Amino acid sequence: MSWNPSGSDLTIAWLLLPFLAAFLAALVPRLGRPLILLVVATTLAMALAAWQGWLPSDLLLLGPFGVRLQLDQLASPLLLLTALVSAAVLLEGWGRAPDKPFLLLLLLLQGGIDSAIVASDLISIYVAQEVVGISTFLLLVQGNRPPQLWIGLRYLLIGNSVMLLYLLGAALVYREQSSFALQGLEQSSGMALALLLVALFTKAEVFISGLWLPRTNAVSPAAVSALISGGVVCAGLAPLLRIAAAVESVGPLLRWIGLASALLGLVFALAERRVERLLAWSTISQMGMVLLVPAVGGFYALAHGLAKAALFLVSARLPVVSLDGWRAQALPWRHGAPLLLASLSIAGAPPLLGFLAKEQLSVALAGPKAGLQAADLLPIALLLLSVGTAAVYARLWLLPGNADEAEEGQPASPGALLLVTALLLLNVTPWALEAWKALIGQGMTDALLKSAGLLLAGAGLQRLWPTGNDGYRLPDLEGFDDLLGGAVLVGAALVLLLSR
Amino acid sequence: MAIVDAIDGFVVMEALMLLTVFTGLLGLLLRRSLFLKVMGMDVMGTGVISFFVLVSARGGFRTPILDGSVVFPGDNDWADPIPQAVILTAVVIGLSIQALLLVAITRLASVDPSLEAGRLDQLGRD
Repeated sequence: MSWNPSGSDLTIAWLLLPFLAAFLAALVPRLGRPLILLVVATTLAMALAAWQGWLPSDLLLLGPFGVRLQLDQLASPLLLLTALVSAAVLLEGWGRAPDKPFLLLLLLLQGGIDSAIVASDLISIYVAQEVVGISTFLLLVQGNRPPQLWIGLRYLLIGNSVMLLYLLGAALVYREQSSFALQGLEQSSGMALALLLVALFTKAEVFISGLWLPRTNAVSPAAVSALISGGVVCAGLAPLLRIAAAVESVGPLLRWIGLASALLGLVFALAERRVERLLAWSTISQMGMVLLVPAVGGFYALAHGLAKAALFLVSARLPVVSLDGWRAQALPWRHGAPLLLASLSIAGAPPLLGFLAKEQLSVALAGPKAGLQAADLLPIALLLLSVGTAAVYARLWLLPGNADEAEEGQPASPGALLLVTALLLLNVTPWALEAWKALIGQGMTDALLKSAGLLLAGAGLQRLWPTGNDGYRLPDLEGFDDLLGGAVLVGAALVLLLSR
Repeated sequence: MAIVDAIDGFVVMEALMLLTVFTGLLGLLLRRSLFLKVMGMDVMGTGVISFFVLVSARGGFRTPILDGSVVFPGDNDWADPIPQAVILTAVVIGLSIQALLLVAITRLASVDPSLEAGRLDQLGRD
């Protein structure tokens, strides 16, 4: 008797593995780290298989009303990102005694994110979002101190409230289409679509529905912040990108929300005085950029997530977290190099992955696909936003030196090193090489000059921008009621815009 | 009576359930106490769950279980099992999340017994 696993068996086994591993790790704590490595390795393999099309890309389980999974090229970069971030977080805590609940939750989180990325019907997406939400909440309250409890509670309460709106939207879709398939969304009413989108915007940390992020990142440990920016965000982005692919008419709306989100994040990031909060505002800004062209959004999210997670891991090891005294500190190379490389990647400096992602985005925006009347303005808007991004990260640039006092302090962050290496090495994978080839065909020198110009303009802008004591005050929008109000405002605006 | 006959019962029910969701959302937004906010979320959840049950009852009310022995000739008014099955999952998830929230609230009550969201916000600030 021979056993021939089919492609769908493999996919199901891969999705189940993290949860089984979590149970096993609860019984045999010693196995926690090896099991996470196994889960990370299988997710990496699945990301590769999804890109190459080795496995069936569209699975319909349990009949036409059942679960639909799509293991396609949209899922591939996001799977790669979440696996690498989990691996980095694991490496980060390798030298210390294993923290049993943390390892368990990491397994659950990875399982939830994997499912959310490949899920392709409204209900599977809902369940996966809730698994991710609960594991993130438990990770946030790990320390059991009141601020952590409050931040975790905020996250869960808002996340669950918007997911209730999502369920209502799913019910409306079913009433109209008698199906929970994403493909039916094209014909469904604007009301249903608006309810689905507001929930996913909150989960994907976009615009004012993402306002929960800065304070969450400021309170949570670096490892959890890295997971939120690199992994948890994928769970919200993947369904958004799928909806954008299924419903063509939603493209312009996503583009406007993306532009607004990018601008909002930049203005707040430029005024911020603490590193983690600057990184969080910049995440809100970058998630807006991902939505500009959903077709290349996954790749952009990959480049951003790797760099952002690395920045969180490094910044936690620095003696100074306030940007006011930032330039006065002596930064040793072991922290300075990953910090510089990761922030340069997000700002779009070659030859890092962020440069390639930004170039792809600008090519896609300039192409005929941008269906706005104001299409000519979009590349200019992207250019200005890129200068702003460079200015935000210019605040972190600080040439490392080998000062005597720098020799003390924390050792290098292994997780950040892994992520920065990935930012460099992913450039020589076949699909990135293809993108490079296309770029060289279109005039490499122009792109390089443009990038240099952007970085210089950003550095100049940062010098001009009033920060520190002579800076400006922005409203504090991060109270609990502000977060709820932001989500409700976005929801109401979407209902009004889409129900025309 | 003609007006009453003209009103579709389903439309009325639907409107009432959406109103329930809306009321819950308002409670979540306007109440200052964290505990009442969680209750508001629960009211929202009740509205959403009832809406799913209503959607599945559009075709009829009969429990969709076939056992072969009983035959209903010419009778097809089964309830739709798909939304019912789906909402069961959501009920379980909603309950567990509420339990988690209440545990966290119990802990926070020892820090600030008033449980006012505005005062608890000071906790997350640097």
